[in-house]
Amino acid sequence: MIKARHNIVLLSATAWLLLVAVGCGPTPSASFRPNMVEATKQRLTVDQERQVATVLLAMFGTPDDPVALPETGLDESKLRLAAGPVRSDIVGRKNGLYREHCAHCHGVTGDALGPTAAFLNPYPRDYRPGVFKFKSTERADKPTHADLVRVLHNGIAGTSMPSFALLPEIQVDALAEYVKYLTIRGETELALMRAFFELDDDAGGKLPETREFLVYETLTPAAEKWRAAADAEIQVPEMPSDIDLVASIAKGKELFYGDKANCVKCHGVTGLGDGQANDYDDWNKAIVEVEKEVKSGAAKAREASTAGMSPDELAEHRAQLAWLEKFHGVLDGDALAPRTIPPRNLRHGIYRGGRRPLDLYYRIHAGINGAPMPAAKGTVPPEDIWHIVNYVRSLPYELDGELGADRPMVARDRF
Amino acid sequence: MSCCPLRLHAATRSALVAVTLACLPLVATADEWGTIKGRFTFGGAVPTPIELKADKDVEVCGKHKLLNEEMVVAADKGVANVVIFVRDKGVKIHPDLAATKSEKIVLDNKNCRFEPHVAFVQTGQTLVLKNSDTVGHNSNVATIKNPPSNSLIPAGGETTMTLSSDEAIPAQITCNIHPWMKSWLVVRPNPYAAVSKADGTFEIKNVPAGAELELQLWHEKAGYVGEVTIGGKAEKIAKGRKKVKVTAGDNDLGEMVLDASLFNK
Repeated sequence: MIKARHNIVLLSATAWLLLVAVGCGPTPSASFRPNMVEATKQRLTVDQERQVATVLLAMFGTPDDPVALPETGLDESKLRLAAGPVRSDIVGRKNGLYREHCAHCHGVTGDALGPTAAFLNPYPRDYRPGVFKFKSTERADKPTHADLVRVLHNGIAGTSMPSFALLPEIQVDALAEYVKYLTIRGETELALMRAFFELDDDAGGKLPETREFLVYETLTPAAEKWRAAADAEIQVPEMPSDIDLVASIAKGKELFYGDKANCVKCHGVTGLGDGQANDYDDWNKAIVEVEKEVKSGAAKAREASTAGMSPDELAEHRAQLAWLEKFHGVLDGDALAPRTIPPRNLRHGIYRGGRRPLDLYYRIHAGINGAPMPAAKGTVPPEDIWHIVNYVRSLPYELDGELGADRPMVARDRF
Repeated sequence: MSCCPLRLHAATRSALVAVTLACLPLVATADEWGTIKGRFTFGGAVPTPIELKADKDVEVCGKHKLLNEEMVVAADKGVANVVIFVRDKGVKIHPDLAATKSEKIVLDNKNCRFEPHVAFVQTGQTLVLKNSDTVGHNSNVATIKNPPSNSLIPAGGETTMTLSSDEAIPAQITCNIHPWMKSWLVVRPNPYAAVSKADGTFEIKNVPAGAELELQLWHEKAGYVGEVTIGGKAEKIAKGRKKVKVTAGDNDLGEMVLDASLFNK
């Protein structure tokens, strides 16, 4: 009897413990996901993955408790507003903005692996490589803070990125700062993972634990580019106010089809975006390349006969198989199925990077970082870029008949 | 009295000898330079080059026989486009080579392919991206440490760029308009790099002699070349790193056989 009662007490205590651990207890604290695609690509050992995680934890903190070293140039008070779980602070101010508005697509880590990411087309942006498309700076430069704020305000037309214009300015500002934090962290992680390869043999596979290496050589270069962005804005000469629009559109059309600007090669003779269309953007291309390596590696490994192998060769063969196996699993869990990037259909009048003439000027001048779109800078003079802008803006309204009777078959007729 | 000049002379002479003796080894090492050379050959049956299909700008690009250049092996088994460079960054540079940095390196878009397939540029050196074709190209330079770039290069046009950081692995250069076009760019902080020629031979001239240097070997299909076979003896070289003790004059590494399995990626 006593024993049975004792058992019941014990049972209910266990059940209560289980509840706390699994169900109704406090939410487990969020953590950053390591960049496993890069770690596996670089063939890092478990110990090396840990070295990177430890350094990142020390330099950037956690999603609930972010740290911004002075070298990042980031404002930690803004990060605190954006980070952590959704909650109100002591003065009733909303906290945890990133997780409320962004994380479900862009992921807690900013790796674009949030739970909804796989269902979106285009996929959300992965911040970790530090590449952004829609900005007022030269191709390889970072966007300015104002560029990020503009994207948050306007959203991205033609994609799943909504407008956050209804949020108070202070919140949008905090979110833009947090995106920078995630991207500087992501670029630092990439630099650390790639640094192992360059170590001398006598380093024993250990990264130097010095401020010189970890901060000045690794974090600072990633952060510095964000500070430099303010001075990298494209200088745009104003479109002449007395411009003859009809003549400018005609000139732009000539340039569009000419082999200097060469827009026609990708956007197609019809402007429907049906020219060169089997290319990938940089994010997807990276996955395509490793998938190819893993697939053909697996095929070769299956073919190989182990019969005549020396013990060394056999060990190497097994290590290669284990690596392929691991990579296969990583690609399954940490990468979305790659997709090609179609050149923009210019007859829709939907411009992802903004519809102002100035936005189109930026896109043509600098190209689109991370995408196949090249920069016209240096090849097409500024006044000609304005003509192309005017022609592109006229495309959605160009009458079908104006394409001419000899126009090639357009995509919508084909299907 | 008459012995004085003689004595002086003798003293000067012995002093001179002493100075010369003290300086000799130093002067000798400072002035001694070696040439590293060798030849890469393919350990396997010579693969048949795969023909590429030009499906863009067919009227221009379709005229040329385009081949997949990932693996270029000559009939006599010489492997082209193997990159070999001195890994040590602080290496002393021969005075004659200092001037090479001001030479321009040209990467041409010619006959709808890149010429050369693998280009080598030093940091700070001018790279000319040129287009000798009658169709427009673009050159998408996917550097890791340097800011990546992608410029339009109109027919007959050119654009220049310089790279400020060296790259641990060669950067890929592609043309987005003609997706079969691929090339590689080696960026090193010194002139000590070479790309093997069609017959598989390479030569790195005027490398400082006396010290042990670390060479790094890379090929686009093999990645860092992990093994070379010299004189029938296979030598594992982790991460493609091979140490050589450079002596004055020729340092012939001989024929290095790269096993076909290295390229099975």
